[in-house]
Amino acid sequence: MATLTLTHITKRFGRDVVAVKDFSLEVPDREFLVLLGPSGCGKTTTLRMIAGLEEATEGTIEIDGVDVTDLPPRKRDVSMVFQNYAVWPHMTVYDNIAYALKLKRMDKQTISTMVKEAATLTKIDQLLDRFPAQLSGGQQQRVAVARAIAVRPKLFLMDEPLSNLDAKLRAATRTELKAIHAKTEATSVFVTHDQAEAMSLADRIVIMKDGGIIQIGSPDDVYHRSANLFVADFIGTPPTNFMNVELEVENGQCQLAGPHFTCVLSAENAAKIEDHDQRQLVLGVRPESILIVSEDDAVLSAECLVSEPQGSHQIVAIELGDKIVKIIAPAHPVIAPGETVHLTFDQEALAFFDKETGLRI
Amino acid sequence: MTRRKPVNLAKAARTTTFYILVVGVAAAMLLPVYFIVSLSFLSVREAYSYPLPLVPALETHFKLTPGKRGYLVSVYDRIEGAYESVLDTKELQKMSEYMRYQLATPVTIEDLEQQVARLETEDEVYFTRRRNLLANYQTFFGVAGYNAVPALIRSLQICALTIVISLSIGGMAGYAFARYVFKGKDLLKFSVLFVRMYPGVAIALPMIKILANMNFYDRPIGLSLVYSIGNIALTVWITASIFMGIPESLEEAAQVFGASKARAFLRITLPLALPGLAAAAMYAFLGAWNETVAAIILTTFNPTFSVVVFQTVLGSVGQVNLAAAGGMAMALPAVIFTFFIRRYIHQMWGGVTV
Ligand SMILES: Nc1ncnc2c1ncn2[C@@H]1O[C@H](COP(=O)(O)OP(=O)(O)OP(=O)(O)O)[C@@H](O)[C@H]1O
Ligand SMILES: [Mg+2]
Repeated sequence: MATLTLTHITKRFGRDVVAVKDFSLEVPDREFLVLLGPSGCGKTTTLRMIAGLEEATEGTIEIDGVDVTDLPPRKRDVSMVFQNYAVWPHMTVYDNIAYALKLKRMDKQTISTMVKEAATLTKIDQLLDRFPAQLSGGQQQRVAVARAIAVRPKLFLMDEPLSNLDAKLRAATRTELKAIHAKTEATSVFVTHDQAEAMSLADRIVIMKDGGIIQIGSPDDVYHRSANLFVADFIGTPPTNFMNVELEVENGQCQLAGPHFTCVLSAENAAKIEDHDQRQLVLGVRPESILIVSEDDAVLSAECLVSEPQGSHQIVAIELGDKIVKIIAPAHPVIAPGETVHLTFDQEALAFFDKETGLRI
Repeated sequence: MTRRKPVNLAKAARTTTFYILVVGVAAAMLLPVYFIVSLSFLSVREAYSYPLPLVPALETHFKLTPGKRGYLVSVYDRIEGAYESVLDTKELQKMSEYMRYQLATPVTIEDLEQQVARLETEDEVYFTRRRNLLANYQTFFGVAGYNAVPALIRSLQICALTIVISLSIGGMAGYAFARYVFKGKDLLKFSVLFVRMYPGVAIALPMIKILANMNFYDRPIGLSLVYSIGNIALTVWITASIFMGIPESLEEAAQVFGASKARAFLRITLPLALPGLAAAAMYAFLGAWNETVAAIILTTFNPTFSVVVFQTVLGSVGQVNLAAAGGMAMALPAVIFTFFIRRYIHQMWGGVTV
């Protein structure tokens, strides 16, 4: 149970590499926070600074209001699941989990109970006598999680703990992690570069790029109200479709004109962008916000390039100029390549971005 | 009729050649060892007989007959299949000594008196006595006695000191090379090998001078310092690659879970590095144990065991069996240590080597 406050954290390696810059963040008690960003954006470095494994070049870190910036890792009362598990190969599963408890000088009986509890929670209670070399990757990962939750930390740090698992196991473990969090209620910081993982786990997502924060928000926020082009592109599969458009105002009516279509805007959308000083905009449309309609209601028509059936739905790709636009359509009727589709936009889900700054309008 | 598999000649030939080779190599390695082991148990007479017996006799068969000068002692020769006369003397003291030292068969003077007495009534007296198989070893430690045992202890001290010095310094340096980035690291790591380029003899004089100045001349600590120089270099290389193979995150995990940096090293990294450290310790032990040239130069009154063996071999030109016993006494501790340390080199956790 803890709050975490990072104030203007910067981390430099040598003179030239700035891994994290001016990172400020407040994590309330019991929150499950996810750091999300592309490879090399400074997620691991941030997490390691919170754990005390890396010194912050500038800024302060507080846990529960206590400044821990200069404390060694063992005095911070955090626990961590490492990207490569880091389970100790010369200790049995039991000893791996018990080690931290032994360091706290708990008595044997208590340790045994706590180890069994953590092992049961992570479903490795049958494996306690084994050595890590005798476990599968997924089981080792559970050991790493069990070891981290057994100490009942104030703060639970996880660095891409699911990255080495196969897709199915990853989805299953994700659910388990969420259940474990619900049970332990430990404040958690979870690092990943997998946006689907972030969406399904997070109370709040911090989207990072080049060492800085781009957006902080709930999964809903970052998905539906992406702060800029980068976020809109990074979140969601398939990603948002972007189209260059020009805003035209004709006898009091706003409309978007692109090379392939013109679209009359709803009153709300018009109000949103009317006052913007630029006429050249980028329109962002989520694949599921492009609707297949009858020819009469269509804003644009195009030939289907390929369609990918997904069972519950199908992904239809069309070509607009040199751009591929992807649409999520109902599974039926099946759309065959070459077939002409008539499309319109869901006005409520349109996003507009400034062409120069990339910021949402 | 059952069909027989056709014999694959090429494959059979290959397999046969392979096994002939293997047996050849094994024989080439084992025969000298066997030779020296068996030689170390032979009596002087056996050691110089031709052909050399493959195994030492367990007992000696004597025949006593009246001789020209007193009593004629004959010994049964296994290879000839007959008794051969070896000594003609009246003095039982001399006879007993001959039997003890040349035939490695202890026979007391009282015993001989009884046998001689039987000659009054019989023409020939036959008797059989047990061989003392360890005679050579007893002689080796007895002859070199004033030296061999303290030298053995001294050698073990030197080995232990060498291991401690080179493992602690070399191990720490290896850890630093593996974990930290600093200027000139590669050059430094390479340059630790330079010290191994100098042959000990070439720099003997300055070494004597320096050790004498430090008051370490002719003392175990002095020799172990000299041996450590070369071993530190080797240990640095062995341990650096071992430490590099142990992910740093294992140590970091321990730190996050409540261990100090030192404790994380002792409890996590050190046990995992044990196989490498054991290998380095073995190198240090064998190097220090076997080294002779520097030991000859750097000791006068307190020689090491290897020096004593060396002197015995040189000093007993007529006694190959004694030299063999010395060689065995020299080899045995090294073999024992190697077998002991082998357990750690093959350290396993959960059936899989890490
Ligand atoms: N010890 C170091 N020395 C120099 N540069 C470093 C060091 N550690 C990290 N960096 C740099 O800092 C930046 C951020 O690294 P970090 O490991 O935090 O990325 P990440 O977001 O965790 O990436 P990934 O998703 O690939 O794990 C990278 O550009 C990396 O090259
Ligand atoms: Mg990382």
